[in-house]
Amino acid sequence: MKKLAPILIAFFFFSCQSKEEITQQQYAVEGMALYKTHCENCHQADGAGLRDLYPSIQKTQLSPEALACLIRNGKKGNGYMPANAKLQALDIAELVTYMREKWGNKKQIYPADSVKIALQNCR
Amino acid sequence: MGPKTINAKGDTVYHQIPTFRFLNQDSVIVTEKDVEGKVYVADFFFTTCPTICPKMKTQMLRIYERYKERDEVRIISHSIDPDFDNTSVLKDYATRLHIEAPKWNLLTGDKAAIYKLGQKSYMVSAQEDPNEAGGFVHSGAFILVDKNRHVRGIYDGTVETEVNHLLEDMEVLLKE
Repeated sequence: MKKLAPILIAFFFFSCQSKEEITQQQYAVEGMALYKTHCENCHQADGAGLRDLYPSIQKTQLSPEALACLIRNGKKGNGYMPANAKLQALDIAELVTYMREKWGNKKQIYPADSVKIALQNCR
Repeated sequence: MGPKTINAKGDTVYHQIPTFRFLNQDSVIVTEKDVEGKVYVADFFFTTCPTICPKMKTQMLRIYERYKERDEVRIISHSIDPDFDNTSVLKDYATRLHIEAPKWNLLTGDKAAIYKLGQKSYMVSAQEDPNEAGGFVHSGAFILVDKNRHVRGIYDGTVETEVNHLLEDMEVLLKE
């Protein structure tokens, strides 16, 4: 069923949406599933975080590049966040696309190619 | 709950949480005396745990908020990564979670003693495992302990409905 959902949505929008919009939808749906698995435990389903322990991501000021690096590499020391070394560029692209649609109110794809470049330039 | 034993006199002795001695987030020594005559909930966690701990803490906060003003209720969270989770790390964690001792004690101490207490006394798994995310494997259980340190219930601390049961049972134990 999980695999079917994006196809159905894509099919539904096929006649009235551009190819880019369809891809954006696909990314966002996959991103939602990834968010559930990798982010929701701490940042909660609504992205509000948990008190001062896990920060809210609803109003993050981070650029997509910085987000990609943070998701992949985590954060050490104060405000520790575990790394997600197993997430591939496409996974991260889908996650960022989902997050910025949900909390950034921006229906715009963040392509996997951009993630690859961003990951090569993490600080 | 737990194994029963027969003592020298031939009486049945019920499983009881043994004496313990750990440090909390305020660097204060906490022992079994601090839960004397109190109903308490125990769990095992570590501050850098990326998997079930955040869910457990969300649920434990419900218990904390509900019994904030009731002195007969305590919460004890044992770190299973005491090498990293020293008292200052625990203090920072408690501050950011907006919780206070002695109502909710986050405890650290001798690793072997913590694992033994978890496995033998609370009957939950707690150990190091390099294959596990975060490096430790531990159960998500909340263990409900009565005023005489007898284990009275074990609940899945990651599931809201299970914690509802715990809250119901807590009321029963408080009336004992």
